[in-house]
Amino acid sequence: MNREALQKKVEEQILDSYEALYRLAFTYVHQEQDALDIVQESVYRAMKHASSVREEQYIETWLWRITMNTAIDFIRKNRRELVQEEFPEAGVEDQYQDFDTLEALEVLSEKERAVVVLRFFEDRQIREVAEILQENTNTVKTILYRSLRKLKIELTREELLYEG
Amino acid sequence: MKDKRLDHMREEYEQIGIPGELRERVETAILQAKRELGMEEEIPRTKIQKADAKREEDAQKTVAGTQKTWTMEIDGAEEEDWSMSQGSRGKQKGNRRGRTRRSPLSWAGGIAGTAAAAMLVITVLANTSPSVAYAMESIPVLGSIVKVVTFRNYERKENTMEANIKVPELQVEDSTGQVQEESTEELNRRIQEYTDEIIARYEADVEAAGGEGHESVELDYRIVTDNEKLFSIRFDELIVMASGTQLVKIYHVDKTTGEVINLDGLFQADADYVTAISENIKEQMKERMAEDENVSYWVDSDMPEWNFKEIRKDAVFYVNEAGHLVIVFDEYEVAPGFMGSQEFEIPTEVIAGMVKEGYLLP
Repeated sequence: MNREALQKKVEEQILDSYEALYRLAFTYVHQEQDALDIVQESVYRAMKHASSVREEQYIETWLWRITMNTAIDFIRKNRRELVQEEFPEAGVEDQYQDFDTLEALEVLSEKERAVVVLRFFEDRQIREVAEILQENTNTVKTILYRSLRKLKIELTREELLYEG
Repeated sequence: MKDKRLDHMREEYEQIGIPGELRERVETAILQAKRELGMEEEIPRTKIQKADAKREEDAQKTVAGTQKTWTMEIDGAEEEDWSMSQGSRGKQKGNRRGRTRRSPLSWAGGIAGTAAAAMLVITVLANTSPSVAYAMESIPVLGSIVKVVTFRNYERKENTMEANIKVPELQVEDSTGQVQEESTEELNRRIQEYTDEIIARYEADVEAAGGEGHESVELDYRIVTDNEKLFSIRFDELIVMASGTQLVKIYHVDKTTGEVINLDGLFQADADYVTAISENIKEQMKERMAEDENVSYWVDSDMPEWNFKEIRKDAVFYVNEAGHLVIVFDEYEVAPGFMGSQEFEIPTEVIAGMVKEGYLLP
């Protein structure tokens, strides 16, 4: 597929999935303006490097990966502020106990968060999640299991591994 | 069994509100990336010429196909040599019926010259106007003299969309005051191709949004270098949709030869200046990041495929007052968007032995 055609496909895919990409970004930053910045940046990168996808079938997972990486990049750079603003020492205990909001995802590492969002909220297959993270499927399953334990959410093993 | 809390989280996830701004931000990003990719292609000279030939063809087609619409506009412009006219023309009529999307490009096209100029030229200031005298300044030196002889303002406003694009016309003369036609044409053609593209893009956006979009495009220029060796004119483009975008373009004339040059024109033929400069920039990036944690560049990042690798042979540059080479990057090019456009001054010793004599100071 030539560069122009590929670029066009990437653009189409972006226009199809930018809302979902925004949600993923939002789970990282919990803040509208930051999430907007992340999406804008991700879209720019994707378009700019469209020729590096090579195969059309990977465009979607590739977009997820860019957005995830951009979000991770973003929070790493802003970590100091986030730590001060969002985790005052006295509040740590409360934060961790309160599991029924999206903020609970904060207990997860960067990768774990992406795995939970993609697998359980976006209904992605383990295989796709593995592609996005560039890990093998067993690693992804391990990450999933660990994430749920951290979130103290009980799921039977079969249910967890079930591809549906 | 499945835990309710996970369903709860999922519900909340699905309820994450999508800001109205999102779509515009996405479109801005797409646009910008496309434009940068397009720019990269415009450089090789053979391509420019080809594009030019094609443009002329297009221009002819456009004129033939839509003559009626155009006649109205022609009436607004009395002469082809609009550099002689003064003051501002009335605001252009909104009658763009039947015009093809590409036609703004024909602005420069030979055959459509008059008609297209009438479509787009709103303000024409002659070099006799005192208010623009500063722009016409030129200091005669031994070699060529480059000066801005006139400029046009492309001004548009439709509801919440507006454009204000200044297009200068330059003239290259030799020391006797003889106009160097070839260089003058080459320089003006490059500038015009660049500005035409900006205008075309704006018009396409207006059309696509039915005039209901939010967009403002500004293009201004200034002379950044004018010494014995080099004349450089810099263009700063600012696009504001949902968020602002900064783009820079600089054109140079080698005053000893009168030729329009790119970065490679400063260096000896087989010098590996790309590596020398790129390595220095990477060092500077790392230094700046180490000094200030709020500073961030795409160097040594987790995403090797996006790391800054090397400058392009036609990288945007200028020579500052100290006589040092400065490389300019557009917003997003080497750093996250919040960093804006970026400049790196290259110590002359880094490229010692590669530079042609006289362009840079130690």
